[in-house]
Amino acid sequence: MASFTSKAFLSLGRTNIPGYGLNKAANRVTYATALSVNSSSGNKGLPDRGGKGPFVRRPKRDPGEPRTKKMPVDQDWSAVYPAAAPFRPNSVPLPVRMGYPINRGVPPEKKGNLELIKIPNFLHLTPAAIRKHCEALKPFCTEWPSALDTDAKCDEHFPVKVQSTDYVSAGPSLRNPSARVVHLKVKLSSLNLDEHARKKMLKLVGERYCRSTDILTITADSCPLRQQNYDYAMYLLTVLYHESWKIEAWEADKTVADMEEYSWEDSPSQKNMLDMLLRMKVAGEGDGEEVREQLLGRSEVQEYKDSVVRMKNEGESESTMLQYKEAVKKVLNL
Amino acid sequence: MAAPLAVRRELFTLARILRGVSQQGPRGLTTCSSYRKCSITRFHVPLTPSASFHTAARLSSTASTITVTEEPDVLYQKVVILVKGHDKAVLDSYEFFASLAAKELGLNLSKVFESPRDIERFTLLKSVHIFKKHRVQYEMRTHYRQIELSHITGCTAQMYLEYIQRNLPEGVAMEVTKTSMEKVPDHILEPMWKEQPADEKPSQ
Repeated sequence: MASFTSKAFLSLGRTNIPGYGLNKAANRVTYATALSVNSSSGNKGLPDRGGKGPFVRRPKRDPGEPRTKKMPVDQDWSAVYPAAAPFRPNSVPLPVRMGYPINRGVPPEKKGNLELIKIPNFLHLTPAAIRKHCEALKPFCTEWPSALDTDAKCDEHFPVKVQSTDYVSAGPSLRNPSARVVHLKVKLSSLNLDEHARKKMLKLVGERYCRSTDILTITADSCPLRQQNYDYAMYLLTVLYHESWKIEAWEADKTVADMEEYSWEDSPSQKNMLDMLLRMKVAGEGDGEEVREQLLGRSEVQEYKDSVVRMKNEGESESTMLQYKEAVKKVLNL
Repeated sequence: MAAPLAVRRELFTLARILRGVSQQGPRGLTTCSSYRKCSITRFHVPLTPSASFHTAARLSSTASTITVTEEPDVLYQKVVILVKGHDKAVLDSYEFFASLAAKELGLNLSKVFESPRDIERFTLLKSVHIFKKHRVQYEMRTHYRQIELSHITGCTAQMYLEYIQRNLPEGVAMEVTKTSMEKVPDHILEPMWKEQPADEKPSQ
């Protein structure tokens, strides 16, 4: 431990942060040029003959005063730690102690303390330094358009949302295969669709539509690049839109089983109700169209129709069953 | 001296800003004044040797010109930054740094919160050969922090994220999820069949 002081330590921080551009040579390998206490001058393998013989060890220089003694109180700290660097006890004028207490006393001091070197320090990111950096970065900012202050306005003008994820981590490779996935979300109410187109679109997309939020989500991850996946998702949206407006010849063969919602007209329920009402009525009325219309137009029948439609579409629950019961009682005059 | 140098080193790669996603929609809103891309052209940074913070830094005196192009900027409704690390104290410091930077730059910090940690444990045999009853257990603790920015433009987001990521500490990973908003593309505004009413099945 005596020969390896903090100053001679090799720092290998952040080798693999994705290079947006250039070398981070300055951050990758940092050797301190200040002196180390026991400078290993390469004589390790050779026997130490105490100055005699052909190999004379270079005379050791005194380490000198630590820099902390010469630091004024109002110095510019960002000159001491301009970028990320390992902890240098002689450059940090704080009486820091870290580690397990020695002999049940105090934690070890900062001089020669490996624990302080191991953890990442934020000495280069003091609030003053952050403010300086932000001042320099401000010219590259652009303003958010002031008219789009609420989410509702954003949704109204820009309904298509594209979501993708970037990953930053250190490892053997910079790339993360999950970064190519693109999710495209759009509210169907913001697209120009009529009734038939909307129903056909819902049939085409199936699972990708969420009924409660009216959001269609298209996930594209089959291409290797994000740009390609984005283009593919937009292409899918375009194709779905145009296909749902198309009316094919075989769509005229749509049966009751294909319908998305239950409709009461021409259903067995309506026929049963009509038969029952006709039998309840006096037989002399006849069986004409007007009688049918009149019977169906009655308010109890309308209520019954509402309750049946609601029960079929929303499923059976307390409220729907109650409504059905009330409607039936009214129709049968119970 | 060294501080501006460090800053310029960080800014060097901003010269490659804005390959950009070209917008298909027209630049719609007339009320928004300046959501345009900005790019730096000529930007020189002296390549300093690695022991730079002990030697005097050569300040680059070439002016950096920031050009503003007419290409419309990407608009992000939400940028979610999830930071993962093994040490909670490091994440605390990083959160302080990121939120202070966001405040200084005037960004909209909607949420900063901590997700519960994950501990992954596994048990291995202590010895190379036999001694099945003697095992050793290891665990890996992952702590999380989430920072959410809302209503941020593409230029600003790119610049802020680059700044944040360059100062990411060792042993900390980050996932950035961006949700960008776009207009409905022109070719989806009207169905194409309307122009050809006579055709039953127009070719695509």
